[in-house]
Amino acid sequence: MMAIKRGSLYVVLILIALLLFFPIIYAFLVSFMSTKEVLMGHLIPKSFSLTNYIDAFQALPLLHSLINSMLVSIITTIGQIIVCSLAAYAFVFIEFRGRQFLFFLFVSTMMIPWEASIIPNFVTVQKLGWINHYAALTIPFFATAFGTFLLRQHFKTIPKELHEASRMAGLGHLSFFLKVVMPVSKTSLVTLGIYCFLTTWNSYLWPLLVTTDERSRTAQIGLRQLHAQENVTQWGVVMAGVVIVAIPTLLVLFLGQKHLQKGLMDGAVK
Amino acid sequence: MAMENPTTTGQVPSLNMPYRTFWEKTRRFQVALLFLLPSLILFSVFVFYPLFRTIYLSFFLTNQKGLPTVFVGFDNFIQLFQSADFLQSVKATFLFILYTVPASVVISLFLALLANEKLKGIHFFRTIFASSLGVSVAAASVTWLFIFNPTMGVLNRIISLFGIQEINWLADPHWALLAVSMTTIWLNLGFSFLIIFGGLQNIDQSLYESSSIDGAGYFYQLRRITIPMLSPTLFFIMTVSLINAFQTFGQIDLLTGGGPGQTTNLMVYAIYKDAFVNFNFGKASAEVVILFLLILIVTLLQFKFVEKKVHYQ
Amino acid sequence: MKRKMIVAVFLLMSSVLLSACSGLSHADDNRIQIVFWHSMAGPPLEALNKIVNDFNQSQDEIYVKPEYQGSYEESLAKFRRVGGTDNAPNIYQAQDIGSKYMIESGDIVPVQQLMDEEHYNMNQLERNIRNYYTVNGKLYSMPFNSSTPVVLYNADAFKKAGLDPNKPPETYSQFREAAKKLTQANKGMKGFSFLNYPWFFEELLAVQGGEYINQNNGRTGLATKATFNSQKGLNIFKWLREMQKDGTLANYGTSGDNESSGFLTQKVGMFMSSSASMAEMFKNAPFKVGVAYIPRPDNIERQGVVIGGASLWLSKGKSAKEEKAAFAFMKYMASPKSQADWHIHTGYFPINPGAYKEPIIIKNYKKTPQFKVAVNQFHDTKSTYATRGPMMTLMPQSRVIMSRAIDDLYQGKNLQQSLDTAADHVNEAIAQMNLANKK
Repeated sequence: MMAIKRGSLYVVLILIALLLFFPIIYAFLVSFMSTKEVLMGHLIPKSFSLTNYIDAFQALPLLHSLINSMLVSIITTIGQIIVCSLAAYAFVFIEFRGRQFLFFLFVSTMMIPWEASIIPNFVTVQKLGWINHYAALTIPFFATAFGTFLLRQHFKTIPKELHEASRMAGLGHLSFFLKVVMPVSKTSLVTLGIYCFLTTWNSYLWPLLVTTDERSRTAQIGLRQLHAQENVTQWGVVMAGVVIVAIPTLLVLFLGQKHLQKGLMDGAVK
Repeated sequence: MAMENPTTTGQVPSLNMPYRTFWEKTRRFQVALLFLLPSLILFSVFVFYPLFRTIYLSFFLTNQKGLPTVFVGFDNFIQLFQSADFLQSVKATFLFILYTVPASVVISLFLALLANEKLKGIHFFRTIFASSLGVSVAAASVTWLFIFNPTMGVLNRIISLFGIQEINWLADPHWALLAVSMTTIWLNLGFSFLIIFGGLQNIDQSLYESSSIDGAGYFYQLRRITIPMLSPTLFFIMTVSLINAFQTFGQIDLLTGGGPGQTTNLMVYAIYKDAFVNFNFGKASAEVVILFLLILIVTLLQFKFVEKKVHYQ
Repeated sequence: MKRKMIVAVFLLMSSVLLSACSGLSHADDNRIQIVFWHSMAGPPLEALNKIVNDFNQSQDEIYVKPEYQGSYEESLAKFRRVGGTDNAPNIYQAQDIGSKYMIESGDIVPVQQLMDEEHYNMNQLERNIRNYYTVNGKLYSMPFNSSTPVVLYNADAFKKAGLDPNKPPETYSQFREAAKKLTQANKGMKGFSFLNYPWFFEELLAVQGGEYINQNNGRTGLATKATFNSQKGLNIFKWLREMQKDGTLANYGTSGDNESSGFLTQKVGMFMSSSASMAEMFKNAPFKVGVAYIPRPDNIERQGVVIGGASLWLSKGKSAKEEKAAFAFMKYMASPKSQADWHIHTGYFPINPGAYKEPIIIKNYKKTPQFKVAVNQFHDTKSTYATRGPMMTLMPQSRVIMSRAIDDLYQGKNLQQSLDTAADHVNEAIAQMNLANKK
């Protein structure tokens, strides 16, 4: 009985995994094809030659932009976790006048389409003299309503008794935050971290605007440079670029997942 | 154990309550402000300032450099509400939300429950389920463009196996929005899955243990423990998916360009066109303000009616 | 452990701030640095980088630094903001339809000015291309990547359908007939495809001598009205509608990539394409690809095609030394040798006809004589206001609007009404812009 259940679970899992992963597998396969093969609609490449990958690396300083992407994503992630967890803490554990209003004000910032504020923000960054600096690529994203909201939802599930007990023990807000709240919330912090890393990694329009110099450019901009506007697209090379740029993110996902394992929480709550 | 039966919580007296003196309140406010300060500064510069700028611009005609020149009051808004194009884009946006948000949340919940089973190698499947999060919108759209290709795309080849006629997914007004929605759901899944799964992992195991002793079945546990305990997460993902759906842009740009017959001309795409291609900031700003108000209303309704059902500790 | 974390965080934070102060870019030698913003990607990017490198190595006074700024739209959005400031590049590549904005922006120096100072022989540049970028007798920018529309067809499928692959159709009725025969004779093939890309509509209008906007296509004064909803505009739509009714017209929406693959997999027999993608088509098609002139109505004489693509602009407010250096690079780009390389590797036209005498082009044309058809079509063009192309700040917006009209066409809506609606929208936009720019 158990075996049947287990077996059918695996079948379901594998089927779904194939379905979900298909676009990625497809991109991977296309990355080995010549333009001709791609446009003829083949599914499996004739040979697994690395020409497209070599072309992609030759056409662009991909390695350099990958390092930039990595740095920018890491800095943004750390910054965002700090800024957002501080804010979320205030919303959950400090009862102050106007809390509801302020929280809603925060959430409302999610509702402003980024495409709309991008030009005024570009002007701001230009005035600050941040063009071509990491600061422009990272600092504006330290505070996000999304992160605050996510952490608030989690902090709210932390039993109030813990707060009570820590106050009895004479802990102030800051030490309660650092010593109790943060460790207990590892899963949410990791979730936010993964999310933040990946969205930063995948952003395109903003980094394009605030950098002009190849030295401060990120990988997604490199990727776009493989895709010609008025010519026939060389899909093989574009997909090779996509694969190169997606590998670090898939790695982060894989490693991040490990930290989302059960048990992180249990010990801490008791 | 800190947690007990979920139905009895929420009545723990808060320690914050008894302090009611004016001095205490001010002090608490100051501490809160300190925690909120970094966020507030950044928001003021990069969110509120552009928002006020946008509201300001929405009352003006702007020149080709995007600077306000002629004050027109509410004219930009009036013109929008009289424009069939704009009303169509509002309609398309709501349809798009209807197609994508519930489906994304339900499917990811299902995936998360599957991935929560204790099986060998489950770790691998979890990564696969979250993988679409690792792919940028641009890369994903390009791949889906191929999948939807009317002549050589995989999708049409599959349906032709069943004897169904080829569908011109992206150029047929009956299908285009659905095709874009499919791409979007796929893109959303990785993220929603990750969040819901994280929520599942946070549920205290002892809740299940004690109910197992009582002999409760899987679906009973799902209804009585999992869903209620997961409700903050579900509420979160619903709100965020909703807001994200309102702001969909990248896949539209690459897949349909707003066509055919404007069936996929979502609001943010229209805004992007007006701001970046037409450089008509006055109009684009008015659209932003309307979109902002729409999202605000929908989110407020969500907080008012749905968050009541959410179960916090 | 925790302390280490905090230290690491502080280090990272301070490195952010440090990088904010010190900056990442710096000029490191004594050469005059010329920053060149462009939108070239894919194979044209490689070709461009090669020309720039050759230039940088050919002398030691000027160093040109090419910087990619995204698509034409993204790049222009950025230039609108930085134009006239210190962040502006020395040379800026703007799409054809952005020209009017550039002229009016006040952020540029007309290249004519430097040409006059240095007695540059302007006649070495292709007349038809120069015409596009000349306004009020002044050449404003240096032409660079130029392309025209052509019709590409499947010559093998032509044979199968009993059509002469060496005598492609010319007029609407001939195209309609050929499309019918192709559809009948080749299983799964549609005769013709017309992409929802309004540039093609503009070209089909110009070939009839039709003007897109009033004031002689905006060339003799500020355009105030759209005129593309004329009989000539309607001709185009009617012809497409007829083919649609015949069941010989394929619809790929706005996706050029889907259309190309449809052509290469023999699902489409003929389609309108940019000359810039010819080379790739020849390379990838498993059949012989023919090139034809774009169609015209039966009773209207062919006027020619409008040049498309982009050109290079000089920023205002840079030192005279930098201006001269930037212009030196432009001259290099326009030389027969550079243009021959550029033409062969990208499919864009040489802006300098001297390039046709370069051995590399002569050799290439022998191998693929089809290239010549595109060049001939372009050289046969009569210089009129229609074929010089519309000059209007709102061209980008008018394309968004026209794209909807083409949608209407495919949805089976009333043709004249769709065109009139589009024209009304363009007129409204013009009126509003004129009002906004009055101050």
